[in-house]
Amino acid sequence: MKCRNFFLVAAGLAIFVSGDSLADNVKVIANSSVKADAISAADLKRVFLEQRIALADGSRVQPVLEKGGPARAAFLEYLGISEDDLQTYYRTLVFTGKGSMPKELGSDAEVVAYVARTRGTIGYVSSAASVEGVKTLAIGVPSGSVERKLITRVEPDYPETLKRLNIGGTVRLRVSISAKGNVVNVELLGGNPILGESATIAVMKWLYAAGSSRTITEVSILFDEH
Amino acid sequence: MAAATLVDHQRSRVDRRLFGMVFACFCIGQVALQAQDFKLFDRDVQIHGFASQGFVYTNDNNWLTMNTSQGSGAFTEFGVNVSTSITDRLRVGAQLYDRNLGQLGQYHPSLDWAVADYRFRGWLGFRGGKVKTTLGLYTDSQDLDFLHVFALLPQSIYPTDLRDATIAHLGGDVYGNLPLPRRLGDLSYTAYAGHRSDSIYSGYVYYLSSVGAQIKSYGGLQYGADLRWNTRLKGLLIGASRLNEDITAKGSAINPFNPGAGLVPYSEVSKADWTNQFYGEYAAGRLRIDSEYRRYWRNQSLFNNISESFADIRGWYVSGAYRICKRLQIGSYYSHYTITNVVTGAFAVFYPPATDTNLPANHDYDKVITGRVDLNKHWNMKIEGHFMNGYGSGPYPNGFYTQVNPRGFQPNTDALVLKTGINF
Repeated sequence: MKCRNFFLVAAGLAIFVSGDSLADNVKVIANSSVKADAISAADLKRVFLEQRIALADGSRVQPVLEKGGPARAAFLEYLGISEDDLQTYYRTLVFTGKGSMPKELGSDAEVVAYVARTRGTIGYVSSAASVEGVKTLAIGVPSGSVERKLITRVEPDYPETLKRLNIGGTVRLRVSISAKGNVVNVELLGGNPILGESATIAVMKWLYAAGSSRTITEVSILFDEH
Repeated sequence: MAAATLVDHQRSRVDRRLFGMVFACFCIGQVALQAQDFKLFDRDVQIHGFASQGFVYTNDNNWLTMNTSQGSGAFTEFGVNVSTSITDRLRVGAQLYDRNLGQLGQYHPSLDWAVADYRFRGWLGFRGGKVKTTLGLYTDSQDLDFLHVFALLPQSIYPTDLRDATIAHLGGDVYGNLPLPRRLGDLSYTAYAGHRSDSIYSGYVYYLSSVGAQIKSYGGLQYGADLRWNTRLKGLLIGASRLNEDITAKGSAINPFNPGAGLVPYSEVSKADWTNQFYGEYAAGRLRIDSEYRRYWRNQSLFNNISESFADIRGWYVSGAYRICKRLQIGSYYSHYTITNVVTGAFAVFYPPATDTNLPANHDYDKVITGRVDLNKHWNMKIEGHFMNGYGSGPYPNGFYTQVNPRGFQPNTDALVLKTGINF
């Protein structure tokens, strides 16, 4: 079957834990020496608990915290650790000789400035903060760690006009999948906007296997004009 | 009359010390934060410290080598540490520790830990120097009062009078953290080997003095491992530890067969000495539940190998703590301790077999309730009630010593523990 002149290619295997609740309040930032663009929620927790000192790509990392405030509260809530438990954890490390107290700074601006000038640092700031000079990390699970299985796939329409004019190419989409497996949001990352709209309509009807939390995946769809 | 005056004088001293401690807590609590970080040769240096002062009153037996039946404040400990990172992989630091617990410690400071820690990866690191021993949930943090809800951790597993037995070793650790596939959680491991050296002001050495032995040195090889699994179920940790020891005690003692002949050389040498410990911890919101089981088996040759001792010490506890609000926590635990002991050879005539754990001499069952108030981030106060049955005062002690109970033991002991501590 000719599949109406297009092939669907699932490329972008990176599947990201949503972190929407985090992203609403907090940005995770890193020094430019950190190669990764994303970090899994689990690794983020390990970094801040000083259990992990390098990311999968080999980048050395060390955590920086804000002393207090809503960003800290949101961040710890996202990590699933209470303020008291975190304090007890760090103090246990410090007083048993098995770790040190991470750097704590007083404001978003101080954290951004420190992260910008200190190699390997990872911190967080409120979502409204200016993050000039540092990189913002997506919160997700690196490629291959966990993949939501696609159960129902609906193929997009290839608009006749574009097809006749030999206009095609790859459309890249960021797809948010609910814990139940429904696609709840699609964002066009790249490609022809008309093809992107067609792809978005189709992908919104896709159904994935249920998961433990909301996740985000990148999907690439090829509209083959030949 | 003279005795009453002496008691009053001691109480007055205790009161002054408590007031002094409270005042010091207040002052240090206010200024501590400014004092903890500074730069040295362009490196961040951290200084942290802690101190605590306790007061214990028991209705009957004297406990933990203190004169608790009169009320005792001889329960003080403090420490200070300094640490810095040399590189992003290498960290160094040290902590001084001192305490006075009745007849133990006696304000002789010790190097609590002093480590160089090199971390290759998250899953592989090395620590060398004097290292706190990882054994169960709290062995390495048992002195750190401010980390715990309870004023005294369950004594069946963490006997504060015997802290020297497990607290640290001069040697090295290999450790790491391994993320498990399929979101099964994390596995943390520690393997270690080194030399344990007990203070001559420690509990077991003090116990030996009750049978006429004056110990000059007590210590030996210690090696073991700990494996703990942070499970997929949020808040649930389970783990197991194993510790092997080869301990030698040297000193002198009264010859029990000829007490008038003066002191003769004394030694104790491990023939088998191991500890197995299993534990679990569950934290959900404001609730934390811990449970541990420990079995300690010690088989020693005594008095230059003329006798042999076999002691089987088992303890377990279940504890729960709940944070009512930011400043207030309550907790309770049940701690169960039993000891059986058999001595063979020449000393068997002095130590009849003690195998019935129903006897109060061979057990200590402790029901505890506690409340902790955090006055601020650095200063806490605790009040705790212990309701103990048994005194477990066999040939390996557990809080009750004949030297401070010369008239013998009563089967039950109720204790009130007040404690305040600071940290920065």
